[in-house]
Amino acid sequence: MRHLSDGTLRRIYDEPLALTAADQAHFDECPDCKARFDAVANGARATTALLRVPAFEAQAHSAFVAIQARVKREEAARPPRWYERWLDRTSPRMRPMATPAIAVLLAAVLLTGLGVSGVAQTLVRIFEPQQLQAVQVSPSDFAQAGALLDYGNVKWLPEPPKVQQLTDALAAQAQSGLPVLTPASLPNGVSGPVSYGVVSHATGSLTFDAARLQSSASKAGVRVSPMPSTIDGSTLVVNAGPALIEVWGFAGGSGMNVPTLVIAQTRVPTVDSSGATTAQLEEYLLSQPGVPPELAAQVRAIKDPSTTLPIPIPKGLATTESTQVNGTPATLIKAVLGAGVVWVKNGVIYAVGGQLTSDQVLAIATSLH
Amino acid sequence: MLQMQAWRPTVTHAASAAISHRVPDPFERLFLQEYPKVLAIAYRVLADRTAAEDVAQEVFLKFHRSHSPDSERASGWLHSAAVHSALNVIRGDRRRAQRETAHALDPARPIIANPERLVEEAEQRREVRRALNRLPKRTAAVLMLRHSGLSYAEVATALGIKVGNVGTLLRRAEEALRKEVNRATPE
Repeated sequence: MRHLSDGTLRRIYDEPLALTAADQAHFDECPDCKARFDAVANGARATTALLRVPAFEAQAHSAFVAIQARVKREEAARPPRWYERWLDRTSPRMRPMATPAIAVLLAAVLLTGLGVSGVAQTLVRIFEPQQLQAVQVSPSDFAQAGALLDYGNVKWLPEPPKVQQLTDALAAQAQSGLPVLTPASLPNGVSGPVSYGVVSHATGSLTFDAARLQSSASKAGVRVSPMPSTIDGSTLVVNAGPALIEVWGFAGGSGMNVPTLVIAQTRVPTVDSSGATTAQLEEYLLSQPGVPPELAAQVRAIKDPSTTLPIPIPKGLATTESTQVNGTPATLIKAVLGAGVVWVKNGVIYAVGGQLTSDQVLAIATSLH
Repeated sequence: MLQMQAWRPTVTHAASAAISHRVPDPFERLFLQEYPKVLAIAYRVLADRTAAEDVAQEVFLKFHRSHSPDSERASGWLHSAAVHSALNVIRGDRRRAQRETAHALDPARPIIANPERLVEEAEQRREVRRALNRLPKRTAAVLMLRHSGLSYAEVATALGIKVGNVGTLLRRAEEALRKEVNRATPE
């Protein structure tokens, strides 16, 4: 049998048990290999002596505290991620009931879950989506004077929704209460790591206040139609979330935070009202300044506004068509840079999208498990 | 129309239960498990505790920015990043020599019976690092990873080589290092 290589002899010095039975048998019988082993071992010992450094004990816990502080500082300094910007734009905390257009669309993305209170007894559910309908919007629709109007008192019960970024699927599942969905396979160009965004379940309420609206309107120099008495003083309770967002791969390290694949799910948002009905609210809010007539017409055309969730689609940048995901009606959104599909099933809204083709998006959506 | 009582509070309960039991953060788990090794690698290369701690922090911070702690390759990535970052430091750091001498003479160190010997030791460590600096990077990496206490399997994973080749590379690296040190300090 051939003699053992220097590499194998070197390993015997460090890991004597790693030798195969055949190598061991040879080594035991071969004076030549034993002599070479002694030389290799001497070399190893001499190197160990050369590389010796004074001993000290690693302080892993205090090092972790230090790195946590640095991570926090970095997180605070970095620009918001796409879903945080999304939440900020839609959160009434940031912009109290921004425009009436948003008030209507709020349901699409809004935050949910009623805690306590006797108010609950008197509330009537006026919105619980079971189907989706695309509504074309221009980004400029949301940048008008109406944005400054204050329709009333906004409260969170007990607190505004929180966004958490997690890297662990089990933790994301535990925090959101929603199962992490996995596609059967990933198209080329989509790869890990996956990061998970969890938006907590939240409940917000808006109590309409005619006087407040009037005063904010005159401050902003806008004319508003007077709030009907059926709406003034009535409270809307909006429940949304939790939502679980799975994001694959951000292209590029800096700045270009474009996810290649996003799978999102959220329990359907609901709106309950203590007085005003869906029809009254729709009629009133859609006639407010800041709502483009075109958008108002689209929302009015929705047959059953209390069970239909309008999905805002940026006009000119994307088109929509009807499709199905495993037999459930769905809306396919096609844009220049990618595609997405949205559907509602069993009280959960699902969305799959990314820098992908429509076929890829649909293949992923149908294969989720 | 549904009444509010129809509300299912299960979700909120599940979420708050998860929070109160504190799901262990995978990054924290990985950090506590791997920090001693990452630090040992950087320290073995740099022979300077403060510099090694800096490298270890940078390595974990870089990892946190771009990788999932659940990744199977997390440990290999950390070990590889530790050895390469530390080797980059000795390649670029001119102030290291001063720091090392300062470290050797640190009055907080327990053994101060023989300060001359400490200076000598520090000088030898510096000489070895200069020799290390002249080795090809992969040669230096295999040497330092193994001499920091990593197993052959861990060295192989960190450098993306076969475990059967570690012994051969290590043996050659050790010879090369000793040759470099001897060349610099002919007796």
